[in-house]
Formats: sequence, structure tokens, C-alpha cells
Amino acid sequence: MNRSAAQQATHVLRRELALERAGREALVAVGPFVLASVLLLGLGANARTDLLRPLSPTLVWLLVLSAALPLARGVRAVEEDEDCWDTLRCVVTPGALLAGKVAALWLQLAAAWAFAAVLAAAALGARWSAGGVVAGAVGTFGVAVDVTLFGLLIGSSRRRVGLLGVLVLPAALPALLAGTQAASPGVRALPWLALLLVFDLVATALAWALLPVLLEE
Amino acid sequence: MPGSRRRIALATGVVVATTTALVLDLVVAPPDADQGQVQRLMYVHVPAAWTGYLCFALVAVASIGYLVRRDLRWDRWAQAGAELGIGMTALAIVLGSIWGHLTWGVWWTWDARLVTTTVLLLVYLGYVGVRGLGGGAHLAARRAAVVGVIGFADVPVVHFSVVWWRTLHQPPTLLGPSTSPPMDPTMLVALLVSTVAFTLAAAWVVVRRVDVLASTAPLDDVPLTIPDEVPTLVVVGRPR
Repeated sequence: MNRSAAQQATHVLRRELALERAGREALVAVGPFVLASVLLLGLGANARTDLLRPLSPTLVWLLVLSAALPLARGVRAVEEDEDCWDTLRCVVTPGALLAGKVAALWLQLAAAWAFAAVLAAAALGARWSAGGVVAGAVGTFGVAVDVTLFGLLIGSSRRRVGLLGVLVLPAALPALLAGTQAASPGVRALPWLALLLVFDLVATALAWALLPVLLEE
Repeated sequence: MPGSRRRIALATGVVVATTTALVLDLVVAPPDADQGQVQRLMYVHVPAAWTGYLCFALVAVASIGYLVRRDLRWDRWAQAGAELGIGMTALAIVLGSIWGHLTWGVWWTWDARLVTTTVLLLVYLGYVGVRGLGGGAHLAARRAAVVGVIGFADVPVVHFSVVWWRTLHQPPTLLGPSTSPPMDPTMLVALLVSTVAFTLAAAWVVVRRVDVLASTAPLDDVPLTIPDEVPTLVVVGRPR
């Protein structure tokens, strides 16, 4: 990526972060959802932390994937509301637009993962290994790429709202599997981290190749 | 007309293969020594799964073809393949579930192929779903092609993840073709003929569906490329 594209990507990222600071859309959509889910799970399982502790990695990843769906709808929502989507996609190169949007979404998903992991540790007694934490960082990147791509594909269409789940969740299945395995006690994390890396690379390559098609409107 | 002759030949092949398969599957092939008559479900389950995978490959190839050529004819093939693929994949999963329940007492196993096939069904449903978002033929085709390509690239990663996960959690000791005794030759022939019959029938259905989609295509079905210059005819004459 040449310097100009890198600068554009940084501007897009800064813009996304500024929008989040101003509107707190992701925070409001994801934070309470994660908190409520952990609470309800504990209550629904009769506070049996001995049962819930082994399931903590799965719970955290399921919450992250569920939280990704409203975030996907917001990928270009602000630009469409302000009627500046066409301007943005003409001014910024596709690669820079993808990089900026993915970076912003990655930060949001990684924050959601971290929040859910802390809650799982506090409320369910979960213990996180180094492999599990690294998997959280690496896996959320691939999920962010998929969510960005599908978010751009769907836009903020009010039709077929459930379609995002059908698209995102199967695509993110490797992250769920590898992320939970890497965090499981007694399991070697390195092979699963390698799988997450492959998942990230495949997702990034696909998004980079297909984004110009989605920007053609 | 060559197209008509090919269609007639295909239809004839479908009728012959299907009739032969029915006779072999229901009459000639013996019941399984352990599973009894239930085993005959295999003659539909396996070809349905095979046809589902074939349709998925068609969706992938046709999606790439559309993205490269921007010709809606490719998109029609992809759409026809996806619609049939949904039916075949769902049929394979349902029959497999029934077979599993009658044979092993379980409706579902976390077998890598079964999980991957279910993921494939979800990808198909997403592919068909994005077409309903509206916006014109080419926009719908672009969206669907993107989903088709992503699905094609993602399913191997998904399959490998599940295989690895299965290897970690359960050694491959489940009942399955790899641990079963060799198949009776008559059964094998019946299965192969059924597979051929399903393949030909799928080809027929896809071809007919493409014909229907072409006949109902909207008037905005025009090529995307417009020449930069309109060619002009220049007549040069030689003065005497």
C-alpha cells in the first residue's frame, strides 16, 4: 500500500473512531448485550459455575459473533444516512476504505471480546491462557474482515434483516472453533492460532479482491 | 436445431437412467445384511449429497464467470444451480438424519462432512437471500456472486477446521463407509447408476431453469460495457 493509501486508511479509521466517540453506537449496541447475556446465562444455569467455567470460551466467542451482527449493519449506515457514501467511495481507494473500516471494526470486536472475557472471569470463574488471549486478538481480525465485507454488501437495507446472521456466522465458524480450542485447558494453542492466521489471510484476500465489485454501484 | 437435439438427448438420458436406477435400487440390489431395507435410503442420500456439491461448484464457477464477464447469462446458471443445490443439500441432510436415527439411534452426529454440508446449506440460503434485496438485475447478480465466491473459498477452511476439531475430540471410529466391509458389487452398481441418474436429472432441471430465467429476464438485461467511441464509416475516394 503506497503512502497516500496508508494515509487514507488512517483518515478512515480516525473518522470511524470519531463517529463512535460522538455517537457511541457500538458501545450502546454491544456492551449491555454482553453484560445481560452473561448475567442471564449464570441465572439460567442456576449459578453452576462448575458447569459454566469450561464453556466460557464458547460463550465469549458466541457473544462476539452475535455482537458482530448489529455492528455489520453499521458499517456504512452513517454515510448512507448523511448521503455521503458515494463521495467516500469515490474519494478513497478501495484498499484504504477496507483497511480503515476493518481496523475500526476490529477494535470494536476485540473490545467486545475483552469485555466478555473479563465478565466470564469475574462471574463464571473462567481462567484465560495466553493462547486464548492471543486467539481473541487474531480471530476477531478475521471476523472483522468478514463483517465489513458483508456489511458493505447488505448496507443498511431494512429488508431481510436476518440475512446477516446466515452470511456472517458460517463464515466466522473457523474463528469460533479455533478461538475456543486455543483457550481450552490442556489443548495446544499453537496449531489453532495457525489456523486463525490462515482464516485471517483467506478472509483478507477475499475482501481485497471482492471489495471493488461491491463499490461499483 | 442443435440445442433442441441436445435437450432431447439429455431428457432421454434422464428417463433411461432414472428408470434403471429405480429398478436396481428397489428390486435388484439386495437389502443390507445389518441394516436391512433401511440401507436403500443410501441410493438417494448419497446422490443427493453429490448433486448438492456439484451445484455448489456450478455456483462458484458461474459466479466467477459473471464477475469476469458481467454477462447475466452466467448469473442465471449460478442462480439455477443454487436453487437446485438448496433442495438437494436439504434432502441429503434430512435423509441422512433419518438413516442415522434408524441405524445408529441418533438424529445428528458432529461428523465433519455433516457439519460442512450444513454450513454449505446456510451459504446457499444466504446466496439466494441476497438476491431478494432488490436494486436491479446486475446489482443482485454482483451481490450474489460475491457471496458465491466467499462461500466457495470459505467452505474448505470450515471443513478443515471441523476435521481438526473432530480429530482432537474423537478418533475416527464412527460407523461409516471407511469402517464398513466392502460393498456388494450389485449395491455399488445401483449406487453408481443412481448417482448418474441424479446428475443427469440435475443437469436437466438446471438447463430448464436457466431457460425460464432467460425468458422472464427484465428489459434492463443489457451488457454493462458501452464502447468509448461509436465506430463511423469513412469512405475514402480517389480523385481521378
